[in-house]
Amino acid sequence: MNCKPLFLFACVVLAASAARGQDAADFFRQNCVSCHTVGGGRLTGPDLKNVTQRQSREWLIEFIMNPQAVINRGDPYAQKLLQEARGVVMPPISGMTRERAEALLALLDAESQLPKSQFVGLQMSDRPFTPNDVALGRAIFLGERPLANGGPACLSCHTVKAVAPLGGGRLGPDLTRVYERLQGRKNLGAWLVAPATPVMATTFKQHALQPEEILPLVAFFEDAARQGGQDDSAARLNFFLLGLGGAALALVAMDAVWRRRFRSVRRALVENARRLAR
Amino acid sequence: MNVRSQVAMVFHLDKCIGCHTCSIACKNIWTDRKGTEYMWWNNVETKPGAGFPTQWENQDKYNGGWEVGNGKLKLKSTSKEKTVFNIFHNPHMPTMDDYYEPWTYDYQHLFNAPEGPDQPTARPISMITGELIQIESGPNWDDDLGGSPIYAQNDPNLKGLTPEQQAQLFAVERLVFFYFPRICNHCLNPACVAACPSGALYKRGEDGIVLVDQNRCRGWRACIAACPYKKMFYNWNTGKSEKCILCFPRLEAGQAPACFHSCVGRIRYLGNVLYDASRIEEVAKLPDEELVEGQRSLILDPHDPEVIHEARRNGIHDSVIETAQRSPVYKFVKVWKIALPPHIEYRTLPMLFYVPPMAPVMANRSDDVVNGVSDDLFHDIEQSRVPMKFLANLFGAGHESKVRYALRKQKAVRWYRRALTVGDVEMSTAERMLREADSSPEEAEAIYRLTSLCTFEERFVIPPMHREEAIQMLEDPLEHKQSVGFGFMMAPRRGM
Repeated sequence: MNCKPLFLFACVVLAASAARGQDAADFFRQNCVSCHTVGGGRLTGPDLKNVTQRQSREWLIEFIMNPQAVINRGDPYAQKLLQEARGVVMPPISGMTRERAEALLALLDAESQLPKSQFVGLQMSDRPFTPNDVALGRAIFLGERPLANGGPACLSCHTVKAVAPLGGGRLGPDLTRVYERLQGRKNLGAWLVAPATPVMATTFKQHALQPEEILPLVAFFEDAARQGGQDDSAARLNFFLLGLGGAALALVAMDAVWRRRFRSVRRALVENARRLAR
Repeated sequence: MNVRSQVAMVFHLDKCIGCHTCSIACKNIWTDRKGTEYMWWNNVETKPGAGFPTQWENQDKYNGGWEVGNGKLKLKSTSKEKTVFNIFHNPHMPTMDDYYEPWTYDYQHLFNAPEGPDQPTARPISMITGELIQIESGPNWDDDLGGSPIYAQNDPNLKGLTPEQQAQLFAVERLVFFYFPRICNHCLNPACVAACPSGALYKRGEDGIVLVDQNRCRGWRACIAACPYKKMFYNWNTGKSEKCILCFPRLEAGQAPACFHSCVGRIRYLGNVLYDASRIEEVAKLPDEELVEGQRSLILDPHDPEVIHEARRNGIHDSVIETAQRSPVYKFVKVWKIALPPHIEYRTLPMLFYVPPMAPVMANRSDDVVNGVSDDLFHDIEQSRVPMKFLANLFGAGHESKVRYALRKQKAVRWYRRALTVGDVEMSTAERMLREADSSPEEAEAIYRLTSLCTFEERFVIPPMHREEAIQMLEDPLEHKQSVGFGFMMAPRRGM
């Protein structure tokens, strides 16, 4: 009888910790795998296998919670990481708390023990890209081919040099050289699995890209980077001029359609009577 | 049956002398503010005339009121789709020029003018721009230019009159006109309320007064286009629409509205009627010729036990039912049937009724003696100087029968009283006329008394407003009991 409450308590604790582990894994999948693997080699960020043996827990938690602050204060190890990442700063993760950071470190410890972690990274085919891939990627980028999970087309926020007559969206960065910036196929592919920046994360959390969409996209970006250059400002100017011209035209049209808008019933009567009198 | 109470009105046009005292009383109380200079919640028009704003009755131009299409009642001026296209410019609104540009005079000039050979004058200046202006129209321009070929001859009510009849109306020696005072009709089916995109307009539950919530009005002006009587006005200073409020603060205090109170000719009657709200839509969809009778059928007999029971069930206070039983409006509209709604073909079911005017008979001249009395009594109505068709256009949706009925009865009452007091006509003739006009000596006496000898209390039977009950529907009067001292809405706190 006496041990029953104890047993129940143990059950609750176990269930809770298991839930927390699952929670941390989900969080890692949604926010971290775009730049990190566990035992899969470095992507944009370092491989996190045995990361707790490389730095103290306290330092790691501080870095996870606010990477920019640690870099700014001139911490030598953080500078080294920044150099290795070719200047890409780890973005602040929304919803990150101390408890969550600790749970993540516990998860990394556990995953590092496994012979093959679930986070070794995206296993993307190494085959050379074909022109077909590039064309398909272009269609996906332009939104001609809708994303399988219903995410918005890349074009709505991003542009690539000469992708469309008026350029693409201007909300996100120009993606012409993203392939170079993220150092190649593996990193870019991993990034697209779970985009980590705050805007991309909120947009694509519910609408993840499919592996069969990621490969053509990467091919498209590789092709764009190879052709080089940058989105030019001519398209931007054209867009502005077109808007200006359109607005002027619309105003002229409205003026024509409602040209009698100031007509007055009384004045018409008076003028009519005067005309008849003459 | 869904019984409600409505404050309704009757204007007796036979008594209106066109003095504009009502307009001035209203102006001085409600519309002497900046932005309201051009508004006349009450105005007096001369008929035939173009009115204020110019040709307001011409719905081909202003698109006011309702129409029936596919068995449904629809606003002419707006709909959900039209709102999208007309949101920045409603093409069917009167312009400032159709009202008039309000002006004052440069009185200072009378005092400040430099000495010169001429008397200084006070020239008109616009109250909108402050510039000197040429006055081209005014709020009672028809009065000033009665019979003019520009204004009076463009009265929309002349539609359907023969050229001879029209020529007759404007021939110099036969010229005739009557006055037509107008305020908001506080309609049963108000187009302004239906058109408002912001839901700012409402018809007060307890008395049917139509009001604009000045906090919710967003100045879309859909109401101005929708009201076929053009009794919605836009205040350019506050950016909100305004209208006649039937002096509800005065009504709540038991006083008649200012225009009623000040009326010199005592033409105005006010009292509440009980009506059946559940049949409004059905009646508003009737064909033109049945509308007058349809609206009368909405007004219920306040003596009918069933009506009283339903009224009580709807929360109408016994004192309000009692005033409805004494209402002069009920008598004029429902019992005697001599008061008619203006332009009921707009289908807003106006609750302001008019007793059509008895125009002088056509005079005939023989041997240089102008004879104004005709021997043939009944033909007088048909031969009066204002053609029946004109009155029918105004008060009968183009159909003459209801107007003829009202005029015949009035005529009979006059002859009955003449037989009684002057005695130069046979009483038997007068009684025959009464019978043929669907009346009786008792009714004639009652009509005569309420028309000629009416006291203040008989003209204005103002229902008690029971504001305490209206307020209790919205808030709990005991909300602050035992929590707040007197004089505070928030509990006073101890200390500095």
